Amino acid sequence: MARAVRSGTRVDTVLLVACCVMALLATVLPLNLREAIAGGLRRTVVAPLVSLQEQAVRGRSAFLSRDATTSRLDSVALRNMQLAKLETENERLRALLGLGRELQWGFVSAEALRIADIGEEHSRTLTVGSRVGVEPKTPVVAPEGLVGMVRTVDPNSSIAILWSHSDFAASAMSADRSAYGIVYPHLSEAGRDAEIPPERYLLEMRGVAFRSALKPGTLIVTSGLGGVYPAGIPIGTVLGELRTSEGWARTYLVRPAVRPPDVSNVIVLLPKRIQGQSLDRVWRSTMSADSAARHIAAAGDSIARRAAADSMRAVEAAAARRAADSVGGQTRPGGTRSPEADTTRRTQGRADTTRPAVRRPDAPRPGAQP
Amino acid sequence: MSWTRSARAVLAFTLLVLLHYTIRPFLGWRTPVDFLVIAVLLSAVRVRPGAAALIGFCTGLVADSLTPSAFGAGALAMTAVGASASWLKAVFFADNVVLHGFFFFVGKWAFDIVYVTAERRMHGVELATQMLLWSPLSAAATAVAGVVLLLMLRPVLEPQAA
Repeated sequence: MARAVRSGTRVDTVLLVACCVMALLATVLPLNLREAIAGGLRRTVVAPLVSLQEQAVRGRSAFLSRDATTSRLDSVALRNMQLAKLETENERLRALLGLGRELQWGFVSAEALRIADIGEEHSRTLTVGSRVGVEPKTPVVAPEGLVGMVRTVDPNSSIAILWSHSDFAASAMSADRSAYGIVYPHLSEAGRDAEIPPERYLLEMRGVAFRSALKPGTLIVTSGLGGVYPAGIPIGTVLGELRTSEGWARTYLVRPAVRPPDVSNVIVLLPKRIQGQSLDRVWRSTMSADSAARHIAAAGDSIARRAAADSMRAVEAAAARRAADSVGGQTRPGGTRSPEADTTRRTQGRADTTRPAVRRPDAPRPGAQP
Repeated sequence: MSWTRSARAVLAFTLLVLLHYTIRPFLGWRTPVDFLVIAVLLSAVRVRPGAAALIGFCTGLVADSLTPSAFGAGALAMTAVGASASWLKAVFFADNVVLHGFFFFVGKWAFDIVYVTAERRMHGVELATQMLLWSPLSAAATAVAGVVLLLMLRPVLEPQAA
């Protein structure tokens, strides 16, 4: 019994000494040898533990960076929300540029700022005033059509009423000049006719001769009568006829071309520009130019691709011909280019000039008089 | 030690090793809990000093494989702690939580002292700070964690007779 205990103790001692010696040896091994042994252990026995440790460290860093990631996501989402607004504003400014290009002279562009006071939701403060030639009763327009009229003017700002203002009235006509009338804001919030949906911002065209029936969708523009608004500015489109007690004239409900909530950047037509001049060509060409620009932009890429393919084919053909010439020992005197190469260059030139054609000229800054 | 008790001890040891490589890096404390020391101490009191030294050596070697610059230091420290714990197993048999906590504390501190000395990386003030400030704090955290784990693992480590 005592011998067994002594033997066990001896084995323990031997094991302990052996372990200590091996551990001490491990501490004094050359670095490359230590690294080799450690690497071997990491690749085999310790591999699952290393993987666990990596995942734990990754989990910790993910936990710590959670707040930062959340705030970054929030800011990205916020910017994304603002992006749609910016795109809309960009579209409006582009349209305004197109309108300014068509008008050419006699206008100033301005920002239309919302007036916060109660009861003033149908007015806007414009960032231009009498210093740039704005006067009372000058028309305010947007790329879509008529916005309203300047009511009061200060040196650097002015106040305009929108078409939804109760004091607004404009002499109007159908675009084909078959019907004339006066356009007022439709002050009732609900449509009186069951066929016409109730809508907050609508116009009425009153006093249309009984013989002049207008179909829904007919474009209504200013007629130029009365001297305030020049002829040809789009006001809206006919929604339908309103039933009234008057038996000698018709009244039509008109969907406005410009929605008051969308009014942010406008153009103020100066008095010298509106004297007896029709502007219907301006809006017609603005609309057609806008659609044409979109078509050109869409077609530009395909033209460029086709031109590149043509030029590649021409270059290959020219190379093949040169190879054939050199084989036959015939060279062109003076190094003249083959007709195909010229064609290629011309085609390339066309492709290059396609893209600048869709660019719009620089925008006039708000308040700048052209 | 019966086969069932051995299996339970191995299970507890494995669990503690897994905790060492998951909870410890996840917490990332400056004074980390050393689950390997707890595992070696709990194993050492159940085996002979030679076997305890071998368990400590192997465990230390595994830990050292992740720190090649201090390769062997952990193995030496674990061997010393394991063998010492096995020789002092009579103390561990006392069913006293405070005493268990104290020996976890002493075991971890002793491990750190041997490790830092064998590693030969720190000198002067840094060595003193490590031995007298960070190591005791880490040992205290290890002791608390060890006591909690011991209470939780008691049904596994010391099953009641039916």
